Amino acid sequence: MRRFLTPAILLGLIVLLALATPFLPLANPLHQSIAHRLAAPSWAHWAGQDEYGRDVFSRLIWGARTSLGVAFTASCVAGVLGICLGVLGGFFRGAVELVTLRLAELVLCFPPMLLALLVVTLLGPGAATMILCLSILFAPGFARVAYAETLTLRGLDFVTAQVSLGAPSLRILTRTVLPNIAPPLIVQFSLTVAAALLLESGLSFLGLGVVPPSPSWGLMIRGARATMTQAPLLLLWPCLALSGTVLVLNLFCDRLRVLLDPRSSTARPGFLRTALGLPPVATTVQAGLLAMRGLTLEVQRGASWVPVVRDVDLDVGPGETVALVGESGSGKTLTGLAIMGLLPAPIRVAAGEIRLVGTELLRLPENAMRRLRGSDIAMVFQDPSSALNPLHRIGTQVAESLRDAPDEQARVVALLGTVGLPEPGRVAQAYPHQLSGGQRQRVMIAAAIANHPRLLVADEPTTALDVTVQAQILDLLAQLRSRERGMGMLFISHNLAVVADIADRVVVMYAGQVVEQGPVAEVFAHPRHPYTQALLASAPEGDAVRLATIQGAVPQPWALPQGCAFAPRCDSAFAACTLDRPALEACGDGRSARCLRWREFA
Amino acid sequence: MAGYALRRLAVALLLVWLVTSLVFLVIHLIPGDPAELLLAQGGVSADPAMVAALHAKLGLDQPLWVQYRDYLAGLAHGDFGSSMVDDHPVSEEIALRLPRTLELVGVAGFIAVLLGLPSGAMAALTAGRWPDQALSTAAGLALSVPVFVVGTLVVLVLAQELHLVPAGGYVPLARDPGRHLLLLLMPAGTIAVGLTATLFRVSRSAVLEILPREHVRAAQARGLAPRTIIFRHVLRNALMPVITVLALHLGGLLGGTVLVEYVFNYPGLSGTLVDAVSARDYPEVMAIVLVISVLVVLLNLVIDLCYGLIDPRLRYG
Repeated sequence: MRRFLTPAILLGLIVLLALATPFLPLANPLHQSIAHRLAAPSWAHWAGQDEYGRDVFSRLIWGARTSLGVAFTASCVAGVLGICLGVLGGFFRGAVELVTLRLAELVLCFPPMLLALLVVTLLGPGAATMILCLSILFAPGFARVAYAETLTLRGLDFVTAQVSLGAPSLRILTRTVLPNIAPPLIVQFSLTVAAALLLESGLSFLGLGVVPPSPSWGLMIRGARATMTQAPLLLLWPCLALSGTVLVLNLFCDRLRVLLDPRSSTARPGFLRTALGLPPVATTVQAGLLAMRGLTLEVQRGASWVPVVRDVDLDVGPGETVALVGESGSGKTLTGLAIMGLLPAPIRVAAGEIRLVGTELLRLPENAMRRLRGSDIAMVFQDPSSALNPLHRIGTQVAESLRDAPDEQARVVALLGTVGLPEPGRVAQAYPHQLSGGQRQRVMIAAAIANHPRLLVADEPTTALDVTVQAQILDLLAQLRSRERGMGMLFISHNLAVVADIADRVVVMYAGQVVEQGPVAEVFAHPRHPYTQALLASAPEGDAVRLATIQGAVPQPWALPQGCAFAPRCDSAFAACTLDRPALEACGDGRSARCLRWREFA
Repeated sequence: MAGYALRRLAVALLLVWLVTSLVFLVIHLIPGDPAELLLAQGGVSADPAMVAALHAKLGLDQPLWVQYRDYLAGLAHGDFGSSMVDDHPVSEEIALRLPRTLELVGVAGFIAVLLGLPSGAMAALTAGRWPDQALSTAAGLALSVPVFVVGTLVVLVLAQELHLVPAGGYVPLARDPGRHLLLLLMPAGTIAVGLTATLFRVSRSAVLEILPREHVRAAQARGLAPRTIIFRHVLRNALMPVITVLALHLGGLLGGTVLVEYVFNYPGLSGTLVDAVSARDYPEVMAIVLVISVLVVLLNLVIDLCYGLIDPRLRYG
């Protein structure tokens, strides 16, 4: 907001100046005094005198009035005209759309300068001609924006509802449509004022715009050009005034756009992982393959950081498949990305360590981390259609994973065969859009296992696929376990039925915390946390007549309840549950649960 | 594929015909008689008998639809007609000036791509930090200075004050390549200032749009070098909007370099068009508008082919 105020105030001042010009104690901008032509700045004439001895300062201010007057008026006319055409075309569609929109597009086909020239020659130069000419030129821009916005709005339920309820069109247009499409049109308006100012001054500069005696910045530049060797400053003033005003207008537009569309201002994900600056930890964990201890991730919310993943411990042994389960928003995907070192920008690691065969990943420099990715740790993503670059052949993208392989092409084809793709040679030559979802996921898996990784992180690898294809991909992943000896797999999913078949152990997450973990068979047979029970009850399996659902939703990280995070949704909660946060307690035979009443469920 | 190309071509030809016909109509309907303008001298209106004779000679005494039919018939034989002002074949004038304008627009576009695309990508990759802020500020400034102001200031500083370069003009390449290039670079560089800033903005937002895509993260997960990711998986995908905007602006420049031509006294196509409109030199105006609109349509066809080259999904559309 503060960034918006500066250009807004400046613009306000300029407009005020232009409006108040006749009431200011300025010299007559038309008063000639040939004796003092090209006189240097003085007390009486702050910016000197021009080639006819006229006061340049006064002409600058009056010029603002002329130039801005033409630009604003033209933008208003163009706006009203264009918005009418666009809204009518977008709202009524059909023949109205055809006439209004094609009319606008025809104008856009003309080179703007040619159109301006024709209009000027038709009507003779002058301010009125300029306004007409600029209005015709800029109306199509408004029409296009208004049309597109109306079309989008027209499809929304609340407008459709009004139409089907029989509300008069005029009423819908003025009460509902216009207020809703206003923000982009306001931006378009300020853009148009800037563009109109540029074109007006350009035409005046050519002698085709405003007629000579009246002061306009374009005309002043045209006049000063002739005498630029004797009086270069005369050229500078109108140039500065014009460019400065356009700059203020442009800034105003940019900031206004940010203000009206907050999405555009949010921080974008940075491309490269920045150094984390975590305090070093003494090596305490000795583990098989992957050992995660106390991982805490925070998300930026305004000026503060809120924990989204809290104190997560996770182990994956060689050859072991561990399932990480939870609803969306439980932090399971972020945990997976933290292992890869690919957390999006608004998320940071606050504490913890992740060891992959002894190497601490969180404190590893980006360069070293990059060498591990794709070789020691690989990842399969949720949506194979967006995880492949649509512009490159399958073979090229799989080959990228291979490091210095001599017979790259043959290895790519072999890899594609390994993941069960028919005609791997042909698939290598294909583009992603020519494959089905299941085939694409096989490609992603081929790229992931290209270098025989020690750990494969599979983030919901079957969620985006058809049910029949899901089973095939799961089969493939299960085969990999036996083929890629010693490869551990972290299988992230919200689907418990899937997990039961593929995983050795399961870790259940809720609201950023591990709530239960243990061997799959035992956890499924005797869940010790009500959340696991609820998840199992809501999984479509067996001959359940009615699916149970879990009431409510995962709490937001910044609105966690005081006690157990699951208590508000828990059927078994009692008073103590809402007071203190329960700890993750070991309950024997390699299991643990975060519930005050786990013993009662045992 | 062939059907698609044919349809595109048909629409393009229709557009050319519409634009030229509209211009034909407008230029004939606006007040001002080329014969009177030609024969009038020093504010004295011409002798009606001479005007009538010239009308008969130029065919202006015919009804408008006959003139239009004759114009189309001439076109069909590849005849653009002769200038009403000096009786030279219009095609000669165009053959002389079109290459200059193409050279001017081409060099300006080349400079703008060379500077705008990398700086836009760089700004996107450092979004919010100082290189981005510096580059974005510079682009904002460049976009605020009108092209004729840039040109005038270039002439003022480089030619008038520092005497480094001539104030403008044109020398054929064959006569003096060095001077030709210098005289070309001044207007081309002037046009490039705004064009670079425009391309910078488009490139920056296009790259910002691609960066959070899943395939970029997947490429990172495969352990690719940042350079590979940027060039192969980000820039390549971000090219489309950049090319679209570039084509739009180059097309606009074909007929819109008049301000720069005026400032640098560069004898291109645009200035001729302005002169022809004010002299109501119908054949000249028609020929230039036709050539420009054909070029714009061709440019759009080339762009469509480029889309296909970049994005395989569009190849069989």
